[in-house]
Amino acid sequence: MINFEEELSHFKPSLEVEQVEDAIVDSDLTDMADIMMSLIREGSESKKRNE
Amino acid sequence: MSRPVNYAEKCSRISNAFYNAGLEKAQIRDLTGASQCLKRSLAFDKYNTNARNLLGLIYYEIGETAEALVQWVISSNLKQEQNRAAHYIYEIQGKPGRLEDESVHIRRYNQALIQAQNDNPDLAILQLGRVVDHKPNFVKAHMLLALLYIGREDYARAGKSLYRVLQIDKNNPKALWYMSVVKSHTGRADVEKRKLKNAFSHHQMQDDDIILPPSYRENTGWQMVLHIVAGLAMGAAVIFFLVMPAREEQLNDSHNREMSQVLEQVNQKSMEIDEMEASVTAMESERDAAAAELQEIMDENGGVLSQYQQLAHILRAYKADDFPTAVELYTGLNPEAISDEGMQAIIAEIRQDMEERGYQVLADLAGQARDAGNTDLALDYYQKSLNIKADNPQVLYDMAMVYQSREEEERANELFGQVILNYPDTELAAKAKEARGY
Repeated sequence: MINFEEELSHFKPSLEVEQVEDAIVDSDLTDMADIMMSLIREGSESKKRNE
Repeated sequence: MSRPVNYAEKCSRISNAFYNAGLEKAQIRDLTGASQCLKRSLAFDKYNTNARNLLGLIYYEIGETAEALVQWVISSNLKQEQNRAAHYIYEIQGKPGRLEDESVHIRRYNQALIQAQNDNPDLAILQLGRVVDHKPNFVKAHMLLALLYIGREDYARAGKSLYRVLQIDKNNPKALWYMSVVKSHTGRADVEKRKLKNAFSHHQMQDDDIILPPSYRENTGWQMVLHIVAGLAMGAAVIFFLVMPAREEQLNDSHNREMSQVLEQVNQKSMEIDEMEASVTAMESERDAAAAELQEIMDENGGVLSQYQQLAHILRAYKADDFPTAVELYTGLNPEAISDEGMQAIIAEIRQDMEERGYQVLADLAGQARDAGNTDLALDYYQKSLNIKADNPQVLYDMAMVYQSREEEERANELFGQVILNYPDTELAAKAKEARGY
């Protein structure tokens, strides 16, 4: 059975056209390759520190 | 900093795999599933332009124009050459008024959402109705509208909105759930369950099983009789409604043709009758003319034949030397009725003789009749005498005297007047004056 109030609360406002620029700026474009690169970089840096 | 080739390549391959899955789902209109795959694809490789462009298309398809623009703008920034995203952006932004319209409808949806969440569902429904009228593929608006209808237990309208959502996005999980609720309230769920139950059979077929078509029904005896009767009734109906009208029309045509032929013959006969009647009329006219001509000839008084007879009697009287009879007969002769030239010559001789002595015979006869007291006969003789010779004052005077004796003063005075005027210096004129009392 549908809980009307709960369902209604799940609805979010739609992105308005005027908000497109902000949305683009706020977009998180980090992908798996970036994460892997970051991990590799951190790994190499910690290795240098240990040495 | 460059990426290690092996990791980058692996990420790219995984991204492509998710893109392909997303593309397949998009092709069967599982837009929710497709967008999930595409988001994962982009999570592995943000440079996967196809995945990002397709994600933008899916957003655009479900009415999220701003979200679509976000994806296409990012895509065109990450890859500026040969990118389809530029075309999509141009399609949205390049046409005047289009982006403004999209903005208005999205804003109206957001207002409706606020109204719905603030216990004003009626106004929200009104707003959403206008939104979906102008933007029929706006899935979020349909979903919210369906939820509001469900809240008002208007399941039919909720079903319509959900049906539209499922046409756009076939596997939208929330829409499927709402739809199941709607169906359970409208009784549609039971109907579909029965259909599903009938569609699948759990009976294992044996070699000697016979598959009967759904239309097959075993008939009992009375059913067969009923079918035969129904068949006969249908046959009769076919004859009555299809064959009979055609036959009737054929007969009507035949009768009409015969009638037209008969009418044509009647017209022809009528024309012949008219011609014959005209001919009869003409012949009757000719007959009447001939009869009149004959009558004219046979007429006793003025007829040609009678005139010839009269002339013959006059000649016979001459031959018998009976001049008074000849004179009397001459008075009844109409010489103009006799056209024969030989006869005219004889008539001329007789006329000359009558003018010389015949008038006096008539005057004498008139005197005898007057003396005998027969004034009518006397006047007749006097008149005949005047007809032969008008210039005769004695006859005029005697005739006037007869009229005077009959006390026909007017006629007598007229004749006395002629004598006085035409013969003024004669003894008869003096007598006439005396008779008139001058």
